[in-house]
Amino acid sequence: MEGLELLYNGFVNSLTMVNLVACFSGALIGTLVGVLPGLGPTATMALMLPFTLSFGPTTGLIMMTGVWYGAMYGGSTTSILVNIPGEAASVVTCIDGYQMCKNGRAGAALALVAVGSFVAGTIGILGLQFFAPLLGNAALAFGPSEFLCFMIFAFVLLSNLSADAPLKGGVMIALGLFVSSVGINPMDSYPRFTFGSETLMLGIDFLPIAMGLFGISEILNIAIEKYVKPMVNKIRLRELYPNKSEIRRSVAPALRGSVLGFFVGLLPGPCTVISSFVSYSLEKRISKTPEAFGHGAVEGVVGPESANNSAVMGSMIPLLTLGIPFAAPSAIMLAGLRMHNVEPGPMLFINFPEIFWTFIAAMYLGNFMLLVLNLPLVGLFARVAVIRPQILMPIISLICLVGVYSVRNSLLDVWVMIIAGVVGYFLRKWKYPIAALIIGIVLGPTTENSLRQTLTMFRGDLTQIVNYPISLTLLGLSAAFLAYKLLAPLWGSKYALKLEADDTL
Amino acid sequence: MFRLEIFFLGFLFILGAAITAVSWGYGVGNLARPGPGFYPVMVGAAIAIFSFFIFVSELKIKSRKAVLDKAGAKKLALMAATFCLWIVTMPYLGYVLVTLLATYAFCKIMKLEGWRKPLAVSGGTALFLYLLFDYWLYIDLPRGILG
Repeated sequence: MEGLELLYNGFVNSLTMVNLVACFSGALIGTLVGVLPGLGPTATMALMLPFTLSFGPTTGLIMMTGVWYGAMYGGSTTSILVNIPGEAASVVTCIDGYQMCKNGRAGAALALVAVGSFVAGTIGILGLQFFAPLLGNAALAFGPSEFLCFMIFAFVLLSNLSADAPLKGGVMIALGLFVSSVGINPMDSYPRFTFGSETLMLGIDFLPIAMGLFGISEILNIAIEKYVKPMVNKIRLRELYPNKSEIRRSVAPALRGSVLGFFVGLLPGPCTVISSFVSYSLEKRISKTPEAFGHGAVEGVVGPESANNSAVMGSMIPLLTLGIPFAAPSAIMLAGLRMHNVEPGPMLFINFPEIFWTFIAAMYLGNFMLLVLNLPLVGLFARVAVIRPQILMPIISLICLVGVYSVRNSLLDVWVMIIAGVVGYFLRKWKYPIAALIIGIVLGPTTENSLRQTLTMFRGDLTQIVNYPISLTLLGLSAAFLAYKLLAPLWGSKYALKLEADDTL
Repeated sequence: MFRLEIFFLGFLFILGAAITAVSWGYGVGNLARPGPGFYPVMVGAAIAIFSFFIFVSELKIKSRKAVLDKAGAKKLALMAATFCLWIVTMPYLGYVLVTLLATYAFCKIMKLEGWRKPLAVSGGTALFLYLLFDYWLYIDLPRGILG
């Protein structure tokens, strides 16, 4: 009953004008970003960080999550109508979505995806609402050794999942950990790598690096690549009605995708991308007509799109309960919350319960807004996809420049952003996972604190970790994963874990 | 053939080694009482070791397609130069005027044809940012000569 009361209070708080506007604008911007090929949700969230600082932490969190799941909604539009994925998680939707479009069923595909995403979003929010406080309570028992082992587990998975070579992931994480160690170390007030500079005493600010690595590098990438104008298939409102067979065939994939996506979201890595691929292969495997996949099977469109929406909610659990972001967008959210002096983790539910419950209520509202927004305006969003980058990128570049300067009125921050942007451009081209670098920066202080506290607690004797079952399990899982990665090539390519090239984000 | 990635990996290796050396000076302590240099020593060593192994594996690859062609490199240099000019001139000319000029420059670098469209885009962007920061967010930014 207490949960319902808190949720009710959350609805009361979220129904303020500022939160509703934040929710709506986040969802709208997210949908637009999802529709536009190139600029992804992570880049947009990084670009929006300076603007969210003008509001409270709850409003900022609502706005950024709106962008994230709005992008998941919008990504399918261009996949279906243009055969160009708006963002990485919608790559798999192109396969059958565009075939449905060619068969004259684009409207039905878009409508079913919108409804499927709504269902998945709702199931994801329900999961978040029930599991997050429970896990938050359980996480209160976490000590330094558990946190340290969780970090090791996350780093092992991240370095292996998000790059074409695990070592590239490893070097990016290490580089991120180094960047976070610059400045006065709070544990013993010792200045490190400051070289006498007062500015560096406070450390290197996260925001310009994130905006550079995700925003500027993406702008450079789009500006340099050759632009091919996409051909958009027109769609009318009356064409949005799916037939009975399509509805019947979509129900189970939407539900399966929702549950699967939620649990994939709990794992480190590009969860939205992984969930859509896993859902597609699951649907194909259990289908009575697997030969229809690739030729416009509705199950291959609804399942993955439901999964990537639900994964967004799943990935909020490690962020909110442990303060550990497992994906690049949640790392940006963590940085945003820290800028508001809110530290997510087990204590969030005790110190700031209103933030969590207002956020949950706003997610319900945002999910509904997206459904209302996406169905009638799908034709308009499809037209946005043909806005030329020659117009869009100069505008976004200047928003980045003025936005990052406005946070601290610091030209140094702008320099850091530009340098990070150019470096990020080359890192993307060389297939280094920049998400790992960002997560390394965000998790650096927690990693160092938990490492030093664990060593002090164990008096240097790391064998004592066997007395801590959670830590031991996490270390065992990390070791098992590493062993699997080393042995999988010996068993053959069938067992190897592979992702698409553009999943370096 | 010169490959920038090899140069970058060499830089990372030196950086990792330098971090380890500098951190050692902060005091590593021991396992029971780690000092302020303990953690960065580990991080620096990890950077050096990882970058060394990637360096070796990249050296084995005889040729790799260049990341940028001549036209791309020119565009990248012009974009970076415009960003730098914005930073250098903004405190003197003010953010509105510099935004107008930089947006126009970006439009031309990205080959937006004619002068009317680039002017409309740059004028619109400068006006939007002025309204956003001055009238909505109330953030005081340098106005320079338009002060």
